[in-house]
Amino acid sequence: MKDLKHLYYFEKLLEDANNELVRRAQADGDICVGNTCYQLPEVLMDLPGTFTVRLRAPKTVSMDMGTYYMTSMLCDYSRALLERAIEGGYNFLDCLMTPDGCTMINRCVENMELLKVNEKEKFFYKYLEVPLKADDNGLTLLVSECRKKILGGLKEGYGIDTSDVALRKAVEKHNEICRIITEIGNFRKDDIPRISGYEFHIICMVSFVCPKYLIIDKLRETLEELKIREPDKKFQYRTRVVVVGSEVDDVDMIKLIESSGAYVCADRFCFGSLPGRQEIILNDKEDVLTQICRHYMLDCMCPRHMDTPKMNHRREYVDEIAKEYKADGIIYQQLQFCDPWAYERMIGAHVLHDEYNYPVLTIDRPYSVGVSGLLKTRVQAFVESIEIKKIQGEKK
Amino acid sequence: MATFLHILLIIAISFACLFMFSLVVYFFNLDMKLTTSLEPLFQKHYDRRKRERNL
Amino acid sequence: MGKAIGSEKLGKLFNGKARCRKRREWRGFRDTWYDYTRWVKIIWMLSKFMMHPKNVKGFFRYRWMVNYLAVPMMIDKHSFGLRGNHLRICREEYDLIADDVAKLLTMIFSADQNLGAKPKDSAHIILVDENEMTNVLCGFPTLQGLSWETASSYVCCLLKGDSAAHYLDVVQQMGLPGDVCPMPATEAGVCIDDDMPILGKCAVQCNTTCDGSLLGNGVISRKLKAHGIPVFQLAVPMRHTEEGVQEYAAQEIRNAVKFIEEQTGAKWDWNAYFECAKRINIGARECSEWLEMTKTDYPQVIGNNILLYRETEYMAIAGKVPAFAETDLKITKLATESYKRKEMLAKEYRHRAVIWGVQSQFYTDVLAWMLNCWGILPMFDMLTMIALDPISENDKEQAFYDMAHQYENMIMRNRTHGGYEVLLDDLWRYCAEYRADMVILWEHIHCKALNGMHGMFEQQARKRGIHLVWVNHDLFDPRIIPRASLRQDVNRYMRSVLCEEPLDPSLEEIDDTNNW
Repeated sequence: MKDLKHLYYFEKLLEDANNELVRRAQADGDICVGNTCYQLPEVLMDLPGTFTVRLRAPKTVSMDMGTYYMTSMLCDYSRALLERAIEGGYNFLDCLMTPDGCTMINRCVENMELLKVNEKEKFFYKYLEVPLKADDNGLTLLVSECRKKILGGLKEGYGIDTSDVALRKAVEKHNEICRIITEIGNFRKDDIPRISGYEFHIICMVSFVCPKYLIIDKLRETLEELKIREPDKKFQYRTRVVVVGSEVDDVDMIKLIESSGAYVCADRFCFGSLPGRQEIILNDKEDVLTQICRHYMLDCMCPRHMDTPKMNHRREYVDEIAKEYKADGIIYQQLQFCDPWAYERMIGAHVLHDEYNYPVLTIDRPYSVGVSGLLKTRVQAFVESIEIKKIQGEKK
Repeated sequence: MATFLHILLIIAISFACLFMFSLVVYFFNLDMKLTTSLEPLFQKHYDRRKRERNL
Repeated sequence: MGKAIGSEKLGKLFNGKARCRKRREWRGFRDTWYDYTRWVKIIWMLSKFMMHPKNVKGFFRYRWMVNYLAVPMMIDKHSFGLRGNHLRICREEYDLIADDVAKLLTMIFSADQNLGAKPKDSAHIILVDENEMTNVLCGFPTLQGLSWETASSYVCCLLKGDSAAHYLDVVQQMGLPGDVCPMPATEAGVCIDDDMPILGKCAVQCNTTCDGSLLGNGVISRKLKAHGIPVFQLAVPMRHTEEGVQEYAAQEIRNAVKFIEEQTGAKWDWNAYFECAKRINIGARECSEWLEMTKTDYPQVIGNNILLYRETEYMAIAGKVPAFAETDLKITKLATESYKRKEMLAKEYRHRAVIWGVQSQFYTDVLAWMLNCWGILPMFDMLTMIALDPISENDKEQAFYDMAHQYENMIMRNRTHGGYEVLLDDLWRYCAEYRADMVILWEHIHCKALNGMHGMFEQQARKRGIHLVWVNHDLFDPRIIPRASLRQDVNRYMRSVLCEEPLDPSLEEIDDTNNW
């Protein structure tokens, strides 16, 4: 297939947390809000005058300082973020918002605060309590926390307009990005897709780590380009998989899976689009903030949500998207030392295999996958097992 | 009367023996030594039991 | 061997090849006689336990029951080196706990469907998590809150250090990585290995200490659902010191109460609740007294004598059992007597230590070892410092906030969650308040909440000139880090940094490799 015009540009943007577009937006006077988790409504940090970046630590090799402060038993992501923060890699942020979601990210940000990594005068940290269940009580909590800490913090700290009008405007812009990403993502459903999982992951990620208003034009152009892009004559992969699990912000991970013969047709992981890039539908009757919070709370697929309907729905959702994107198998992956996904991976893999009859591969992986031979071997073996199963199925 | 006293004496001696025995068991930790020797037998029993191991 | 503290070389009791100690301690005539009578009481209690046919059935059905053969040894471990009133305090506490656990097991087995009971036998039973506060049941005097997890995992590890090994292997075979906290992993393993009693009208689960416990509940709730036992997940806020979450927490309690009422038909009884609240306040008040004594040169209720008793009383009992409130008063009386006589628990106190972090469940008696071997006085530990503020004994609206506050302050989680202030800042505050020159910091290698502050602990301890002794362990699994290694961590610090000689050299290197 012909290369996408802006893909290289997008890849370059992903090489640095303080990328060119972030610098440009700050030069324009916008406030940069760092965030660490889907559970904080992203749209609330993308108000007029602000933009949010989801923290990553690209090209992390050594994590000595992060490991000193947090030991080697916490996930690489949290340690990599701390390492990068200590090195000054997040000094561009104007504030950092994090949910008290998983323990590790919470401790990571607390360490940043205690080490005073960011010396900007008006810099502040906010830790939000986010619901553990998707119910009315949880919604009330989330609304209260967002109002007080996100909106209140931005208003008091930087004079940001947090009115309902501003929120609606932010939702409108967010929805436009979501529509573009979703439309691009839908090409993955084709029998011979015109976009690879790797390309899609890059496109999706830039929308998380760059000011949306500066990237939207290129995303629109990419969509138009894809509409007329000729797919390969033959499907280049041996099988189609859904990748489920903890955060994947290392594009090499998807590249590795696809180079092993498995097309990543759906991205059900943090920094992915499912969920993450669905439109927020607002009505005129209800409080805007409540509607926004409800959307994030109901859509959230984090294993941290402990109520039974949510637990069941997480696995049903994987089945839904596997059917929708025509997946042959599922890869449950987790970052090493990630507690929530350790359990979810175990249960999810069994449920999807035993109850939904999918071939399932479970892996745990480091933060930076690189060209891990071990992972490649596992995925290749999985691909072969799916092919054998298909052949045996046909014979019957 | 003599028989009654005789029975009482037997009971008293039995209690005394039991008491001495319990003191010995207590001090020399014989109760725990017995259970540690029984434990492997119980473990074999548990290993033999059929289980429905699932998630 | 003798009446005086430190007169027996305690290291001689250990024999590496054997699973138990060579003999019990000789504590002088009076104390040995006292200990013997309490031992007889325990043996009698265990014998009565085994006279129930269902209990015998349960013993042979569940692998984890074999650990209960070690009950007398567990008490011996925790009364290590004690004399006089301190021994009496210890025996009051542990004998009561043993009795309470025996009752718990009897109730579990009598309603267990695996042992032939019918679902209607569980009509009055609510399942609760291990490490879950149970005050939400204080207003349901006709219902019983039972935790099979406590019986199968938590207590078992106290009894026999490697009790969790089999279940950890099972759950890891299922795909759970070995780096998660072994406590919820063990519970999940018990569940997967078909060793979980099936009982209960309904269950109230809770996110107790960590992400692991939260997620582990998912494994258990699947099994409960398969047996038609409805589950309510009680969500307790993380940032529990913040005003903004208290209403959320209180509402969760209201929702839990409503759930129990709907499932069981029982109605919340305020009189019963406030009776429990009074007993909770007694416990808190007496504990505060003990801690006040600890601030002086003659602490009386310390180490595991305060920890294991208080965590049972605070969480599992939560005022529902009058015997605990009576025992609180007894303990205070004994402690006050000893305090007036300036009695000590060891020959010498060389260091006043705060025990912080999550202590290893398979070696809780290491505190007794530290005291006897090195004269390190373990004043109290992190799990003891729970909510001690009095709760309302008559205000119905306030009661929900009180219950929520106690849930938020469950053991461990009141420090692992709530921000670094409750974990770091509070530690230094306690060190100042209790004149501690040392912190024994348990590094449970798989506890991410604690490990995440490792560097900060070091830096801040250095700044304050406090001796910080890291002791690594893996909570439930002595195969990963054995008991000897924990002792070595302390020995190394005492020898290399402080250049001290042990109080009792026979304890410095002991061979308890095969000990239960």
